[in-house]
Amino acid sequence: MFLHQIKYEWLQLLRDKWVATLLIIFIALCLFAANNGSKKVALRQAEVEASLAVMNAADSDFKANIDSVERGLKTVEPWLNPRRLNFIGNRAPRVAAMQPAPLAFLSTGQSDLFTHTIKPTLYGESYVLSFSELSNPVQLMFGSFDLAFVLIYLLPLLVLAFSYNLLSSEKEQGSLRLTLAQPVSLFAWLFNKMILRFFIMTTIVTTSLILALVISGIPIVKVFSSVLLIVALVTLYIFFWFTVSLIVNAFGRSSGTNAVTIISFWVVLVLLLPAAISQLANSLYPVPSRINMIHEMRIAKSEAEKVADTILSSYYRDHPELAQRDTTIQNQYQFYLGYFASQDVVKKSVAPVLEEYQTKLSAQQQFIESFRFISPSLLLQNALNDVAGTSSRYYESYRNQVVAFAEEWRAYFLPRMFNNEWMTKVDFEKLPSFTFHYDQVDSTRSTDTVGLLFFAVLTFVISSLVYRNISRKVLIT
Amino acid sequence: MILNIALKELKELLREGRFRVMAFVMVALLVLAAFISNNYYQWVNNQHVTAKENARNVWVSQDNKNPHSAAHYGTYAFKPKYPLSLIDQGVDKYAGISIYLEAHKRNDAQYMAAQDQTAISRFGDLTPDFILLFIIPLFIILIGFNSFTSERENGTLRLLKSQGVSPRTLAGGKWLGLFIAVLLVIIPVFILSVLFLGNVQDFGEFSIGALAILFLFYLLYYAVFTNITLVVSAWAKKSNIALVSLLAIWMVACLGMPKVANRIAESMSPYPTQSQFVAAVQEDERKGLDGHNPFSAEAKQLEQETLKKYNVDSVQQLPFNWDGYLMQKGEEHTAEIYFKHHEQLKVTYENQTSVYRVASVLSPYLPTRFLSMALCRTDYASHWHFSNAAEKYRIMMMDKLNMHFAENSTYGDWDYLADKSLWKDIPDFTYEPVTYSQILSSNLNNIGVLIAWLVASSLMLMVSVKKMSIL
Repeated sequence: MFLHQIKYEWLQLLRDKWVATLLIIFIALCLFAANNGSKKVALRQAEVEASLAVMNAADSDFKANIDSVERGLKTVEPWLNPRRLNFIGNRAPRVAAMQPAPLAFLSTGQSDLFTHTIKPTLYGESYVLSFSELSNPVQLMFGSFDLAFVLIYLLPLLVLAFSYNLLSSEKEQGSLRLTLAQPVSLFAWLFNKMILRFFIMTTIVTTSLILALVISGIPIVKVFSSVLLIVALVTLYIFFWFTVSLIVNAFGRSSGTNAVTIISFWVVLVLLLPAAISQLANSLYPVPSRINMIHEMRIAKSEAEKVADTILSSYYRDHPELAQRDTTIQNQYQFYLGYFASQDVVKKSVAPVLEEYQTKLSAQQQFIESFRFISPSLLLQNALNDVAGTSSRYYESYRNQVVAFAEEWRAYFLPRMFNNEWMTKVDFEKLPSFTFHYDQVDSTRSTDTVGLLFFAVLTFVISSLVYRNISRKVLIT
Repeated sequence: MILNIALKELKELLREGRFRVMAFVMVALLVLAAFISNNYYQWVNNQHVTAKENARNVWVSQDNKNPHSAAHYGTYAFKPKYPLSLIDQGVDKYAGISIYLEAHKRNDAQYMAAQDQTAISRFGDLTPDFILLFIIPLFIILIGFNSFTSERENGTLRLLKSQGVSPRTLAGGKWLGLFIAVLLVIIPVFILSVLFLGNVQDFGEFSIGALAILFLFYLLYYAVFTNITLVVSAWAKKSNIALVSLLAIWMVACLGMPKVANRIAESMSPYPTQSQFVAAVQEDERKGLDGHNPFSAEAKQLEQETLKKYNVDSVQQLPFNWDGYLMQKGEEHTAEIYFKHHEQLKVTYENQTSVYRVASVLSPYLPTRFLSMALCRTDYASHWHFSNAAEKYRIMMMDKLNMHFAENSTYGDWDYLADKSLWKDIPDFTYEPVTYSQILSSNLNNIGVLIAWLVASSLMLMVSVKKMSIL
């Protein structure tokens, strides 16, 4: 009986030209979106590579210069002397790059807001490094047409187009009476219809995704587990929307009413709830004031600067290990040493302000993030950004990792300058370098998947309960 | 006759549960959105007021110090928010809120709100503009999609035609009925917002005129959607098909087109990345005069010229401190470089804007979006205007500080300390926003496209009602 029904449904669907059109449009949209995403990632990659190339070229120039100066073939102004450590620390910064994750093309996420190449120098203050990307805010507001957009926004609509009249069309054609006269369970019968469509949809979406991956040149084998996870997430999302549609169908209204009702669900879950949550949560628990932070930071800084100039001696008291070993010559970096010492004082008084701000901000972001369990589309977005490595968490981690690297950079030069050393050619190999570690970020994908699973199960249970209590008489009259 | 049809339509709509529920939801959403936005607005504004005071206090309460140290210490310009931003937040979230004004550098606005928020915020915020731009058109579609199709399905279209109702009357009546229903939701909102915004007047400039024009644009937008809804309803055989097609149109106009336009704009004239921009500025700076480097060729040249002009043979004999003068010339030079690069950026931005204008031909959402945020002074142009004003202030400030140094100290005297009264002599930063007439004249393009949409869709409505099949 089951196979029989599936077979005829299948034949019916095949004949429907709407089905074919919609599916083709969907595949085309997926490919367009994937292409968009890959273009963005390629630009990002190119930017990183260009920065690294510039750095390497500069390095060889510096090395050659050091060589010439060492051999006395060339004389340079003292402040342009590449053998001076402070010169290298400032003029030959390393590129702290955040390479895109393998599946970055899936979702732009927050990646359009931040720059991916930072060059911390010796003088600058690591805590005020700016991570903003230069961009047209209109572009940021409209957002990008990426796979995440297609999956979160458009996929549910496709599901709804497939299923809004599962029951109502049978009723409107009069075939429902005939069917219900048969000894079949209404729910089982409808569920079969739905499952068939569900399988078709899932197959199509999975195929489009894999097609998109292949076209974007992503080695699927290497990211196999992530690809599986995406397929699982999307499958759950499709299943969720099918069951929503099933529930709406149970009320036995006309196809038109069903469509309006289901669209309203879509509007609420995909458009309104996320917008309301983001706005409400931000007004319940506002992002701590940046403006205030700037002010406090300036106050702390100006206080610290007043005392900073007189502190090199006390700095030595705190850091006896830094005192110059050969005391017979004057340290050529005297000026910078004073600068570093005062920089430390300033940092010590400014850091608490910043740390407090960052702590508050993380707490606020976690509070907001926890609201994602209210809507499946929020869960899917979060999971996709997580897999793509473009969520806020990754950018927060990038900031932390860069700041830590800036400290490392400083820590390389400081003791050497205190010891009055020169930069040599071979030292370039010893300079610290930066690699962004994606694995330092707590991933949210598994909790997101559980959340989606919960929604899918919930709506499934509701739909079976609704159908158990439905009276056949009401349905046909 | 038109009125009769309109009244009948309206009566039918009002009787329907669907309309009542949706209208209630619309108004409730708008009120909620206004309430939340107001909270946010007050919060931001309070911060802004204190921040402005603080920045000024910190600046004037500096001790005696070298003017150039003060220039490096700098100050902040904060972007004000205007009451109409309660209605449309525009790109505010994606443009920074404060600009650090310091020596030698034109900084971009820092701290965009979106960076401190999680990706949830990329779904949009429940602000009035979100409802007005996205949800109300959807509301029009949901209440109007079966205007003609249901008549066709019930066979009443045949009756109407047989009674000799002209297509024009029929179209006019249906249109009026649907549009009045929309007005029933919009007018109360308009009145509420006037009352509401009138009360926040103290926080900045507020003009009822601008609000009225804003609503007029929104009404045009809704009229276009009413037309489109009726066109599709006249054309479609079944209500279902009409609904699905209209939703597809809505998706394309409101969600799809802006993103597609983004992609085209980006590939046609891409913005430089932050590091490319900085590198280009640095490259130009390296080529030119450096106020901190008296040994460069450019500085030597300037020195010769100045000595000749004052008819002396060494910088010590100049009637002012050469260091300060050189610093000011260097400052002017870098300001020029920044100006040049920002002008280039502006060209890119204008190229991108023209892509959006072209895309407006396919989406009535786009011109309305741009008009709305322009009038609320939350568009990108307003941000540019602010950024330019801040830069102008910075140039003035640097000029005062450097010239004070030049005129009040002697050559080589880097230990010179200016009296703290100097900080007060530099006026506070005040910002005058773009006037409404300027806004309107720079948006004539968008207004034109919106009106063209109205005309074209009205014509289409006429034609499709005339050619409509009764079966």
